[in-house]
Formats: sequence, C-alpha cells, structure tokens
Amino acid sequence: MAAQLVPTRRVRRVRAPRTLPRRPADRLKLFRTPTQKLTIVVLLVVYIMLPNLLTDFWLDVLARCGLAAVGAIGLNLLTGYTGQISLGHAFFIGCGAYVAGYFGVQQNLPLAAWLPLAAVIGAVIGAVIGPFALRLRGDYLAIVTVGLLYVGAHIFTNWTSVTGGHAGTATAAPVAIGPIDFNHLHAFGQIYTRRQGMFWLCWGVVAIVALIATNIVRSRPGRAMQAVRDQDVAAEVVGVSLTRYKIGAFAVSSAFAAVAGGLFGVVQQFVNPTDFGGAPGLVLSISYVAMIIIGGIATIRGAVIGAVLVVGLPQVIQHFSEQTHIPFVKSTTGGSGVLSVFALNQIIFGLLIIVFLLFESRGLVALFERARGYFRSWPFSR
Amino acid sequence: MSGRPLLDARDVTLRFGGVTALSEVSFTVERAELFAIIGPNGAGKTSIFNCLNGVYRPQIGSIRLDGVELIGKRPSTIARLGVGRTFQNIGLFTNLDVIDNLMLGRHHLMHTGFLAGAIWVGPARREELVHRERCEEIADLLDLGMYRNRPVGLLPYGVQKRIELGRALAMEPKLLLLDEPVAGMNLEETEDMARHVVALPDELGVAVVIVEHDMHLVMDIAQRVLVLDFGQVIALGPPEQVQRDPRVIEAYLGQPG
Repeated sequence: MAAQLVPTRRVRRVRAPRTLPRRPADRLKLFRTPTQKLTIVVLLVVYIMLPNLLTDFWLDVLARCGLAAVGAIGLNLLTGYTGQISLGHAFFIGCGAYVAGYFGVQQNLPLAAWLPLAAVIGAVIGAVIGPFALRLRGDYLAIVTVGLLYVGAHIFTNWTSVTGGHAGTATAAPVAIGPIDFNHLHAFGQIYTRRQGMFWLCWGVVAIVALIATNIVRSRPGRAMQAVRDQDVAAEVVGVSLTRYKIGAFAVSSAFAAVAGGLFGVVQQFVNPTDFGGAPGLVLSISYVAMIIIGGIATIRGAVIGAVLVVGLPQVIQHFSEQTHIPFVKSTTGGSGVLSVFALNQIIFGLLIIVFLLFESRGLVALFERARGYFRSWPFSR
Repeated sequence: MSGRPLLDARDVTLRFGGVTALSEVSFTVERAELFAIIGPNGAGKTSIFNCLNGVYRPQIGSIRLDGVELIGKRPSTIARLGVGRTFQNIGLFTNLDVIDNLMLGRHHLMHTGFLAGAIWVGPARREELVHRERCEEIADLLDLGMYRNRPVGLLPYGVQKRIELGRALAMEPKLLLLDEPVAGMNLEETEDMARHVVALPDELGVAVVIVEHDMHLVMDIAQRVLVLDFGQVIALGPPEQVQRDPRVIEAYLGQPG
C-alpha cells in the first residue's frame, strides 16, 4: 500500500495504431496500406486506359494538366515545403520551353538529352536566383521574383538566336525514347495519335517527378527545407544551413519548372515571349500559386490535384457553356448574356481561391483526409 | 583527461549600439558538469546562450569549445562542433511530427544531399533507417513514444519542451544549452523534466548549461552556478556558496534600507 503513495514514473506507453507501424523500416515504405496499394494500381490502369477512352480534345487538356502538375510540384517544394514565396515560376517554365526549342529543335538532341538538360539549366538558373531569398522573405521575395519575369521578357525577346524574339520559335522537340516515339506510338497493331502520346509522356513525367519530390521530402534535404520554413533560427541552431537549403530549394523547384516548360514546348509546339514574360507571365505564375493553394500546400498529391483543377476546370466550364446554355453567359462572341465564358472562368477561379483560403487553407487534400478520417472512425464519427 | 575545460569563455562582451548586454563575462564548463546561469530578468542569460551558439557575435572576448574558437562561426557550424540548444519559448518545427523533429537534431550527423535523397534507394534509405532507430530510442527515453507521429504544434506545452530536449539530445552534443527548460510547467512536469536533465551528464557524458528561474531546481541540481546582473558576473561557485553571497542577495532582493 505504502509503495503506491510514492510517485512512480508514469507509464505512458500506448500501443501504436495498426496503420502506423512502429518499425521505421515499415513506416518508410511508400505504399503501405492496402488502400494505398490499390490506389496505385487503379492510377496505373487509368494512366494506360484513359487515352483509349477520351477524345483528342480532352487528352490535350489532360496533357496540359500533367505538365502543370510537374511545375506545381516544383513550386510546392519551394513555397509549400521551404516557405519561400515565388512569383517568378513562369520565368523558369519559359527557360524550359526555350531549352526544348534550342536543344531539341535547333540542335536536334533526343528527349533523353534535352529534357534532363532543361532540368539542369533550370537548376543552375534557380541556384543563381536563390541567393536573393537569403536576404528577403515573404512579400519582399515575391516582389523581387516578379522582377525576374520582366528580366525574362527582355531576354526572351532579345536573344533572338535562341528564342526567335517576338516572332517566337518552334519547340516541337523530339519525343522519342529509343524506338518509342510519343508522336507516333504504335503497339499491338494499333496506331496512336500525337495527343494520346502526349498524355502518356506528360503523365509519365508527372509520375517520375512526383516520386523524386516525395523522396526528397522524406529524406534529409526535405526535412531541412521544412525546418527552414517552420523555424529558421532553430533550424540553423540544429545545424541546418539556411544558405544551402534555400538555394537548393530554388534550384530543385526551378529544375521541375523547366521540365514542365519543356513539356509545354512539345505540347504547344511553338512559343513566344508573351507565353511567359511580363504580365502574362505574372498571370501564369499566380495560377501556379493557385494550384498549390487549392490542391494543398506542402503535399505532392495536392500539387497534382490543384494543377488538374486549375488547368482543367476552365476548359470544362468553357466546353459545357458552349454545349448547353448557362443563364447570363454568352457562348459566342456576339451572343446574348451579361458574362463571357472567359469572365465566368475568371470569376469561378477567383471564388475557388477565396473559398479555399477562408474555409480550408490546407486545400483539397485536407478535404480528402477529413473524409478518410470520417470513414475510418465510423460509426463513431459525427 | 586533460586539465582543459570543455568550454572556456573569456571576457565576452556584447553590445547593441550603446547598450552593453554582456560585460567581460568569463567562465568555464567542465566535461559532464551541470552548470547553471541565473540572474534577474534582462541580466543577459539568454544573450550568453546566443553568443555560445553563434546567433549573436560578441565584439570582444573568446569562447572556446575543446580549444576551438566559436566566435565568428555560424550557428549551423557550431551545431556541428557539438553544441545543442533548447529555446526559452520553444523552437520546434511545428508542422513536423515528433520523430522528424528529433531527426532534424541528427541533421549534422547525416550526409544525404538532394541527389541521394531524390534517388532514395540505397544510401539515403539506409542512413534514414539507422538514424530513425536512434530517434525512436530517444523518444522512448523521454516518454515521447506515444506521440511519435503527431505534428508537434498540436501537442501540450510540457510535451513540446520535452521534444525540444529530445531534439537537442539527438544532436549528440558535447555541450547542451537549456534555456528555461521548466518555465511555465507545473510541479509534476517540472519534476519530470528535472529527472531527465539530472541524468544527462552521468548517462551521456554531456555537459549541461541551464538557464532557469526556478531557484529550487537550480540549487538542487547544479554543480556550479554563475550569477549575472546587468550583464556582469557577480558570483560563480557551488550553489551553497552562491546563495550566501551578499551581492547575489542584493541583486535578487534589493539593498537593505
């Protein structure tokens, strides 16, 4: 009896839930639960089957969603994971497109050379820009990166031997990996269109980039980036070099942006400076910020979901407003109605961002997680 | 063991414009010693910590750890040399879970860079596993196991303080700086924390410098106490000697009328 009156060390050990294995080796597995394994199989089937089911128009939209997802994953590494706000993303995307034009079209290098080269060039330019982030943060960094867009506009218009100046340049770079040419795919006696090939190419790259980003995020450099975001003084005090990881995040983010730009080049086939420089570049950069906010800050899935939504939704709205009559919306330039389809797009887009910031600042991914939590604890959930 | 102390601070003087935050502060800390720094508010206790790990750069003086000059080095370099630290108002990475916070303590012991991390398979994964095992041990040592996968920002204050101690320990430092480890804790939490802190020098061989306002705690656990007032050392010695020092009593209670 007396022994119990002495305060003993409290025992707080609780058995970890089944979904969180105690052994680190198990916890580090990418696809752990049956649901995750099933999801990846379903995604794989969708990836293979979708081009056989959709029209070329929607495949083109989805290919553009895919390349945007690559860029959004890059921006999320910088903004979501490292906490550095950048509005210069369009500049790096432009760099990638011109790499496709110069090394792919003019020098005629194969995909396996020009696409990695785009990543390397993006990384180098990003690493050069990165040091600005050492002295500036938050709004100030955002403003400085806007400056990048105008520098970009100048370079894109005046370096004519590479960019073709105002007139633009062809960017339909080679897209063959060995015998597999995404422009003219054929298998099992079937011949596939360019659009089908572009879908497979872009989403294949999304898968690779998403895997690379996930790996960075779950290992030492990604943890350091998040430490810089959450508490920069404490990060430095535990031995994380702010210089290295801020510049590193810029480099990786720009590398992904340049890859996205290269894909944009091959999908679009022709680019000019108004695609990325100056004010149009700012709109493009902001739409990338919108992707990661709507999808989910600091998640890889979120960047992909956000990209699909931000790039895909306007097309869906446009398509259906042309097919069906939406009140007050004119479907043709001369038609009756208060709003144009473009204006409706902008309004829906703006509202989405406001709604997300007000009600779910963690983005669509958080909605999924909440739903998952609900079903996991059912019937005890309210 | 050689006669050289682990930490040797000499004539450290720190000024902010015309304000002298620290004035010729000198002290040494031996290996595996539990050393306390006390003093009234604004005496310069936290400033000393900030000088020791490179957040501030004193204008005059020298701070040597195992003979290596620390003044002028960046905090991340000093961390690599073996100085761990906790913060007065908690400096955790709030969106990361407990294990990731501890893993960040081991950042300087690991080598994976961006490329190896991106590839993951091979060295990055192996290194991750080794250090995660160690972090699990530290989490268990500090009774943090049950929170291991929770974002630390959502955990109670006392637990966060313990996670911060864990993160500093994960660094495997030679010298551990604890800035008010029990501030704002209730009696039970304080005793919990004290038990952990007292065990450190003996079990891990780490020297601990603690800044604390809880006098009972300091006098109970410290081997030597440094008393600061207005940036100057007014006493240095074992607790019982410091407690009787008239200048210390004056600094805390004021001059007899």
